[in-house]
Amino acid sequence: MKMNKIIAGICLAGIASSTFLSCSKLTEEPYGIVNSNSFYKTADDALSGLIYAYAILPEVGYYSRGYYIIMELPTENLTAKSDAGQANFELEQLRTTSTNSDLDNLWTYMYRGIARANAVITNVPNVPNMPDADRNQIIGEGYFLRALHNFNLVRLFGEVPLRLEPLVEAEQIPVAKSSISDLYDVIIADLKKGEELMSAAKNFEGRANRVAAQALLSKVYLHLASAKASGSVGYDFVANSDEMYNEALRYAGKVINDQQVFNFTDVLPDIWNTEVYKNATVSEHIFDAAVDRSGEREGNYSKLPNMFLPDPGFVMTIPYNPSDPNTETINIGRGWNHFQMEAHHYNSYHASDKRKTDLIVSEVINPDGNVIQFGINDFSRPFTRKFIDPLRDADKMSTNSPVIRYSDILLVYAEAAGPTTEAYAAVNKIRNRAGLGPLSPNLSPAAFREAIVEERAFELAFEGNRLFDLRRTNSMEKVLVEKYGKSITSGAYFFPIPQREIDSNPLIQP
Amino acid sequence: MRRSLLRTCAIFWSILFAVQLTMAQSRMVSGVVRDNEGRPLPGVTVKSGAYTVTTNEEGTYEITIADQENVLSFSSLGLKSQQISVNNRSTIDAVLLSTALDLDDVVVVGYGGVRKSDLTGAVATLKGSDLNKTPASSVDQLLQGKIPGVQVAISSGQPGAGATVRIRGNSSLSGSNAPLVVVDGFPWGDAGDLKQINPEDIESIEVLKDASSAAIYGSRGANGVIMVTTKKARAGTPRISLNTLNTVSTLSVKPDLWRDGIEEAVYANEAALNGGTPLSQLPYLGEVRSGVYFPSIAELRGLDPNKPQWATNTDWADLVYRNPFSQNYTLGIDGGAENTKYSMSGNYYKEEGLAIKNAYDKYTGRLNLDQKLTNAISAGTNIILTYTNNTGQNLSAGRSRIFPVYDENGNYFRTSAMDFGNPIAIANEVLNKSKTIDVLGTVFVSAKLTDWLQFRTQLSTKYGNSIGDVYEPANVTFRGYENTGYGAINNYNNNELVNENYLTIDKTFDDAHRLNVVGGFSLQNSRTRTSNLMGMNFVNDNLQNENLNSAKTKVLSNGLSASTLHSWFGRANYALLDKYLFTVTGRADGSTKFGENNKWAFFPSAAVAWKLNEESFIKDLNAFSELKLRASYGLTGNQGISPYQTLDRFGSERYYVGAQNGFMTGFGPGLAGANNDQGLTIVGGLGNKSLRWETTTSYDLGLDIGFMNQRFTLTLDYYDKHTKDLLRTRTISPSSGFDQQWVNDGEISNRGFELGFNAGIIQREELSWSVGGNFALNRNKVVAMGESDRVVTGSLIEMVRQNVNHFIIGQPMYAFYGYRSDGIIQSLEEGIEAGLTGAEAIPGEIKYMDIAGADGSPDGTIDPTYDRVVIGDPTPNFIYSFNTSVSYKRFDLNAQFYGVYGNDVFDLQKMTPSRQVQRWTPDNPSNLYPRANNTRGYKASDFFVEDGSFLRLQNVTLGYNFRPGIIKGISNIRLYASGNNLLTITKFNKGFDPEVGLDGINWGNYPRPRAYSFGVSVGF
Repeated sequence: MKMNKIIAGICLAGIASSTFLSCSKLTEEPYGIVNSNSFYKTADDALSGLIYAYAILPEVGYYSRGYYIIMELPTENLTAKSDAGQANFELEQLRTTSTNSDLDNLWTYMYRGIARANAVITNVPNVPNMPDADRNQIIGEGYFLRALHNFNLVRLFGEVPLRLEPLVEAEQIPVAKSSISDLYDVIIADLKKGEELMSAAKNFEGRANRVAAQALLSKVYLHLASAKASGSVGYDFVANSDEMYNEALRYAGKVINDQQVFNFTDVLPDIWNTEVYKNATVSEHIFDAAVDRSGEREGNYSKLPNMFLPDPGFVMTIPYNPSDPNTETINIGRGWNHFQMEAHHYNSYHASDKRKTDLIVSEVINPDGNVIQFGINDFSRPFTRKFIDPLRDADKMSTNSPVIRYSDILLVYAEAAGPTTEAYAAVNKIRNRAGLGPLSPNLSPAAFREAIVEERAFELAFEGNRLFDLRRTNSMEKVLVEKYGKSITSGAYFFPIPQREIDSNPLIQP
Repeated sequence: MRRSLLRTCAIFWSILFAVQLTMAQSRMVSGVVRDNEGRPLPGVTVKSGAYTVTTNEEGTYEITIADQENVLSFSSLGLKSQQISVNNRSTIDAVLLSTALDLDDVVVVGYGGVRKSDLTGAVATLKGSDLNKTPASSVDQLLQGKIPGVQVAISSGQPGAGATVRIRGNSSLSGSNAPLVVVDGFPWGDAGDLKQINPEDIESIEVLKDASSAAIYGSRGANGVIMVTTKKARAGTPRISLNTLNTVSTLSVKPDLWRDGIEEAVYANEAALNGGTPLSQLPYLGEVRSGVYFPSIAELRGLDPNKPQWATNTDWADLVYRNPFSQNYTLGIDGGAENTKYSMSGNYYKEEGLAIKNAYDKYTGRLNLDQKLTNAISAGTNIILTYTNNTGQNLSAGRSRIFPVYDENGNYFRTSAMDFGNPIAIANEVLNKSKTIDVLGTVFVSAKLTDWLQFRTQLSTKYGNSIGDVYEPANVTFRGYENTGYGAINNYNNNELVNENYLTIDKTFDDAHRLNVVGGFSLQNSRTRTSNLMGMNFVNDNLQNENLNSAKTKVLSNGLSASTLHSWFGRANYALLDKYLFTVTGRADGSTKFGENNKWAFFPSAAVAWKLNEESFIKDLNAFSELKLRASYGLTGNQGISPYQTLDRFGSERYYVGAQNGFMTGFGPGLAGANNDQGLTIVGGLGNKSLRWETTTSYDLGLDIGFMNQRFTLTLDYYDKHTKDLLRTRTISPSSGFDQQWVNDGEISNRGFELGFNAGIIQREELSWSVGGNFALNRNKVVAMGESDRVVTGSLIEMVRQNVNHFIIGQPMYAFYGYRSDGIIQSLEEGIEAGLTGAEAIPGEIKYMDIAGADGSPDGTIDPTYDRVVIGDPTPNFIYSFNTSVSYKRFDLNAQFYGVYGNDVFDLQKMTPSRQVQRWTPDNPSNLYPRANNTRGYKASDFFVEDGSFLRLQNVTLGYNFRPGIIKGISNIRLYASGNNLLTITKFNKGFDPEVGLDGINWGNYPRPRAYSFGVSVGF
């Protein structure tokens, strides 16, 4: 029977193929997956690994939102809209708990950043056939990124686990907390390596160079110096605050005096003009988490401006530079009204301070051409225009999140130096741009430094510096409680380590 | 083969008796014997006095009756015997109902079958005809309450939604817990979405529960095995049958919504005020907010002298829900000659959802073909085609009544630019469609090499394809808004290829030794390919997702996962003197999914059984038709992990590096997976070379009892299962840069008891009544989990900012973990005394309890480290079900009850409007419901925990079988009416069905319908 033969044939074929298949080794050939076996083989791989390390910065959980929520809400600068959720209000009211989801989120992102930087630091030295200059630059940037994350961690949480190797085996997971002193040793060593390995030439947008490492190092030393000098919690280990001030001055001096790629921007709104700072050969933006409105998802583009912009029910238009009578108007859209400016901050400016008149918007033009005023206690309040993108594509915006800005380092320089002529010159340069007179002369070192910290409150408002400034000068209670009447229940100097870390890391003690 | 022999016999005997007839002085009676679905029954023994005949292929018989005789008795294996008085009639038709399984019936056990009386393991059987007649898009749903030890949870009433099936509890923390489904010998994969099989096509379902029976499926057997056998071809003249089922459904539970806008607005204002919103910024003040006018309370009440009463009062439930109509039609044909037999059927199934514009359509076709090639060799094929189409989605009716559906311009009304909650807009404008096509085919050849040795080879393939179409316009959903229109096409296709080859030895020695041995090998390849095309930012919404290339931003993703399983398997059954039964089973599995250090696994098992009823001392009692003691022990495995989990895998992201180079792509450690509820991406990708299967060791002790020729039967089983080397995604310290890793650690135990019984209480000619039931009790416990005492599972619940389900040593899986509460705070002092601070200590808030502190005694503060305890257990204490069926003359009535007892539900929907009305206020110092407060940070506490026990009248069916031949050309007609989910007795939240998923959390899922069906079965 013909059928019979066909089926017998199928049968035999089945047996034959089975026998053939049963000889295979059952090894898995992953599809579409890159891993440690197939990566870090070429110079392009090395660069790609570094890009991955940078890519954590503009994520929603980090500099595109999370960082600002955690840095700005506890201070007198901003509060949150009423339905912003429990985690925001725990921060706003300084009663943070270990289950605060915003803190958990930021913690997680910072450590993901460290893991990515560690992969660069460990693997790139072994990539064959790579020019030394390229290799050094990439490794140096890896060190810079690791230092940035660790510096953020130690300032936010105090003692935290220190992770310096890529995770390969599960045995590496439990890690005890390191002392604040050990953390700073690593941060400083990493930044010094970064300074040594990276070139001073201007790097691509969103990438660090030698100046960025020096600038960050000056901030690290200033933090140590002022925390020691003011007796801030956890910084007893610092041997000598003056020594630290000197180091801060030395590195800030390198940024101020020894390089040409970053400089002071004379017109305030220009500092924040994406089309200026992204394209100018020289800008204030020493290091940014970079985004672009052509990105595919949040993290590639930014929605951060929406957090600051109110939602008055219409698309807002504002003059680009209120100090300039010939200024054009720009359309800034409408936001989510998530952050709301607090009267404490709004009312603390000198009336003629351009950082209030030019950078805080209290009246906008609606589509009918009418001017609408926002009161500081209204639903739609005055807002900062540091984060805007007039060329926004719906909610996709190109506003980089500034991590280190030239003016910041200028003030670091002044604070580190104390009341010297150069320091006065530095701070007055900033006051002058803001339309204010020079700082009172002949201040004592303590009074001078206090004045600089206050200057920072205006100059660097909403950029995520204020909380650290208050912490390192031991003035959380003095300013927030005594001056502004807020209450502090927990998290004044260090936030609690997230519960998820405590639950999953047997070596950590809460 | 045996059946056709019987038929030949039948014909022979009929002729013989016909010859005798002419010679005797007596009457002649003839008629047709059918089953309860009206199909003719061949081979039925018809007896009267000394005369005996059997029915022929068409079910007809003709018998001589001696003058003195007046009773005809009909009997057949597997059917209830019947006696009918003749009373001078010359035509007597009979309908024989199926009984519980006869002891000689063959039970499918994987790579063969055994007689029920020879079973040594815990195997339960369900006939296809015993499945409830109710709309069900997947067969799994119909198993609920049918088999002891098989738990089926249907948490969603959405058309096309599957079910969660568990056999003897959960035994894996994060590997699969679903049983393996095997259809006609072809292992398909996890149970839960068995949509490809039309319930009408099912001959029987066997459930392999213990290690002895499931070990033949080795590393996939630990969760039990469900064996589905479809209807096989039967020789004879073509039989055509048509079955229809038309169903109208309603909401089974009235949604708990605001009755009017006033109460709602008062609550919203009060909640905002208590939440710290300044008086001037409360929602309902008669002011324009973000371009929308919000009426004041006075205006809503009609008490504002300057404004007319607010007219809008939208009844969203009325707009969102409907009484859907569902249809189900099956046309079946079978027949053929001795050498070529066929059985085919086609089915159309359409289920409308309770939510508008939500529907599920399904078409299935099936062909079974058997060809006898020679006396020794036969071949055949088995093909199933399934096409489904799913449209629409769940819609919420919980929107504010104060605002209309449309604004004055006819656009969808929105309360702000960021309002994406209008369900009518979602129903009308959001495209959400998915289509699936499944093609399943098996070709087999079986050869009888000698009279005791048989070889079978089978090649099976399964191809599944699905295409999802999504479009969300720019102003209807948040995703659409965020992206200025979001469109996607999601493709999935899966290919399985299985080749199985085995030899079967069936031999009896010296009448005392019966031996049945199966041995063979199998190869299985699985490949799943996916591709997702997404487009964002469209010029307008006209084309939806039809031209994704016109989107400004396009995102592609694709993936392939492949795995191979190689296996050797064998089983030996030995029966000594037909009293002592022994079974030894083993399977070796090699899988690519396992880590390179552990590629092959071996799973042995053994069982013994003693048929006491064959012993003379029991036989002498003359009481038992069956009395069998069974015991088994063995290992089974679970490889329920995805491919590539043993390897480290890198993630990829892009970063902007300026206009010159634009975005660059980065690769590195940490593979981003799904987002959790808070939008935080869960990062995995950490490899584990030692990753392997989970091993379950189980014991089973069983007792089968039958009285009065199996009229009363009882099956009891006790089991004890221990699962170790648990596959789980360990949550690892976020400071490692990863969130989870697959590991093998930990141990779970399940112990339980099962009981099933059936009683034919009345079995008379015109009246029969039977009662059946089952009961299952399972005690589940997490014994060990590596280094951890407590691990979170499930997802983070935004409302309480923690995971509610935890795995905790010494507790059942998925136990709820959180704070205890003690009513509502009545005074500030009481709140502060309780250890609460700030907004949490205010009267009207929930009073959480300070249980312990660092030193073990209350420390005056409520903190997550010391004050959280186990607050509930979502696992039922027991599950039970009973059914009864009565038939009187041509009527039959069946009812089934299903209940679960002793499970807790974490009710996220607890604060329904009817409870919000009863909230704490200074004038109404409630101790049950907290005050209105829109900034309350709820803690996960026993405030939300409720008793989820329920007893449901699952199904009632009333049928009528018309007298055969009443219409010419139609052999039988049956009409029936069936009601499903008719009544639920429970103490649970009145606004929701108490049946939730196995995590025990009431998420507020798609409501479950109450279905009223009308069915017709016609046989031609």
